[in-house]
Amino acid sequence: MIDPFMALAGRLQGEIVIPLLYRFGWMQWEDIAFGWSLFAVYGFFQVLATWAVCMPLEAWRPVERWTNRRVVLTDMAYTLIARVGLLPLVTFVAFYQVQVWVNGWIVDHGWIPPDLELLIPPLLGHPVITFFVYAVILDFADYWRHRLSHIVPSWYALHSLHHAQRQMTFWSDDRNHLLDDFISALWFGFIALLIGISPFQFPLLVLLLRFVESLSHANARVSFGWLGDRLLVSPRFHRAHHGVLAAGRQSCNYGAVLPWWDMIFGTADFSRDFVPTGDPGAPEALASGGYLAQQSAGLRALAVRFRRARPAPAGSSRAGIPG
Amino acid sequence: MQSDIPLLRRRSILAGGAALAAAGRAGAVPVAPTGGIAIVMNSAGASISIVDMASHRQIREVPVLREPHHWTLSPDGTELWVGDAAGNAMFALDPTTGTPLGHRVLADPYQLWVSPDGTRLTINALRLNHVDVYDAATLALVHRFDESSMPSHLTYAPDSSMVYSTLQGSDGVVAIDLTRNKVAWRTRVGPVPAGIIWHRDRLLVALMNGDGVAVVDPTDGAVVGHIHTGKGAHIIQISPDRRVIYVGNRVAGTLDALDGTTLRPLARYTLTGGPDCIAFAPDGKLWISRRWRDSLAVMDPANGAFDLIPVGRSPHGVFLSPMLKLFADEGRAGLGFASV
Repeated sequence: MIDPFMALAGRLQGEIVIPLLYRFGWMQWEDIAFGWSLFAVYGFFQVLATWAVCMPLEAWRPVERWTNRRVVLTDMAYTLIARVGLLPLVTFVAFYQVQVWVNGWIVDHGWIPPDLELLIPPLLGHPVITFFVYAVILDFADYWRHRLSHIVPSWYALHSLHHAQRQMTFWSDDRNHLLDDFISALWFGFIALLIGISPFQFPLLVLLLRFVESLSHANARVSFGWLGDRLLVSPRFHRAHHGVLAAGRQSCNYGAVLPWWDMIFGTADFSRDFVPTGDPGAPEALASGGYLAQQSAGLRALAVRFRRARPAPAGSSRAGIPG
Repeated sequence: MQSDIPLLRRRSILAGGAALAAAGRAGAVPVAPTGGIAIVMNSAGASISIVDMASHRQIREVPVLREPHHWTLSPDGTELWVGDAAGNAMFALDPTTGTPLGHRVLADPYQLWVSPDGTRLTINALRLNHVDVYDAATLALVHRFDESSMPSHLTYAPDSSMVYSTLQGSDGVVAIDLTRNKVAWRTRVGPVPAGIIWHRDRLLVALMNGDGVAVVDPTDGAVVGHIHTGKGAHIIQISPDRRVIYVGNRVAGTLDALDGTTLRPLARYTLTGGPDCIAFAPDGKLWISRRWRDSLAVMDPANGAFDLIPVGRSPHGVFLSPMLKLFADEGRAGLGFASV
């Protein structure tokens, strides 16, 4: 059976990417570029599927109604940049040589990074189970990355961009400062060294997980019920994390896909119902500025944080009180 | 540098290798079809397709770790070794049935080939910028050469004294003297060199950001000629009877046939979808992987007509079990990657 995603990626590769690489003398990247073509195609359909499901949900049971949705347009730009391939492409170019040096150095010193299936051989040949094991490990790693991004003041100066949105929708998932994305890439690069990660082996399942993350930001009065909210991060659960009183150094509900880590490490809060979102302590440009204005405001906030070396911004002093 | 997990079933496999092989065998049919099988490395699918050559149908998939690209036969020809580059492992399969036999942890085995005399295994670690030379009998690392950048394809001198690797990230070829374990020369040959074969005391190097093949003097790396084929020349292989050299042109979407003696053009075939590695069937047909169409093209060079066989994602290396007879009769020179 023909895989329609692969067929489209093949067309993109053969008719657009390869001629461009040849034109600019970059054919050494042609094999690796196919990975990017796949990513872009899956990303496009991921955005389409998320839109098809979340738009009706937001129209049907909105938490908030807004007359002016201009700021949501900026979040749409973040999503398209992140998921249809530009950001991964830039990240890849920036990181390729670094990973060559790091991996080469490690191998030269006698250690070859393992794969999870080598540590647990029965996983080989069971891609769905393997994927879920990887997904659980990565979600656990992401829980701690996210929690640290709230605890470390200078890191939160960047991450507050994600929290500043007062009109949170399913488009808000990718609303991040580029430096925040850069730190995430380093974080997962380190995890990759430990267990090996190959998302392109499981593109449909990755698509599903990213869908859950987008859905959790939706402006929709949706809960998965008492049990469901404890199995998978729901819009209700994640909205508490974005609540105005939960922005800052101590928050709650850090999990991206699985709420288990919050339950295990005592940061889960299931009591809050669809609270208003935003970070009152963040510069206004982070909330209502355009893409570039938000990026530069994030940098300024980081510079201020470094200069003052204060433990927390004023708006974060209420941190620890659930929203 | 490598684990102690034995590669070969005959050598008391330890738990890790045995379990992995067993996992790969799950549901497998260990009997080969009478017409032979094609073993296809699906580089983006973390699997190896086993195809019935008679019916042109995939009969099963063997899982591997991440990214299988190329293959070589073990020194005695009883095992097919497949490099899983991103998985940092080399898998062994029975070349007649495709049954997995075990694996060994090795750094980034992208392109790999055993020397004509069977004593050395050279691995191009494209991602790590290494050319690694192993003892083919023990798989002990003999010497690691840091080569920048992106070592891609390789070929040997017929007497196994030298190995030549293309460096696709720096437009070069490196020649390594295997008798002294030293680099003999390193030189630029043209934009983004990929496929390389030894041919009548010359090296033929396909230029991926060029439009053909550079003819290189193997004694010093001097470029002494150029053969025009098509944009994005990538793979270069020679038919078992040495009469035809095939060059796959990635950008043009064509396959050029050159005279095996004079290098003059004989024919040009249209083959889109990223034509890559070629395997030669006993009936004269070419089995060609199409990287971006998840399929093999089985092409009759007499008229250019081809059948398509769906396989896994981004198929790359192709091995046909009847090639074992070529190996038995003529050694590695009959397998399509080296001439005399």
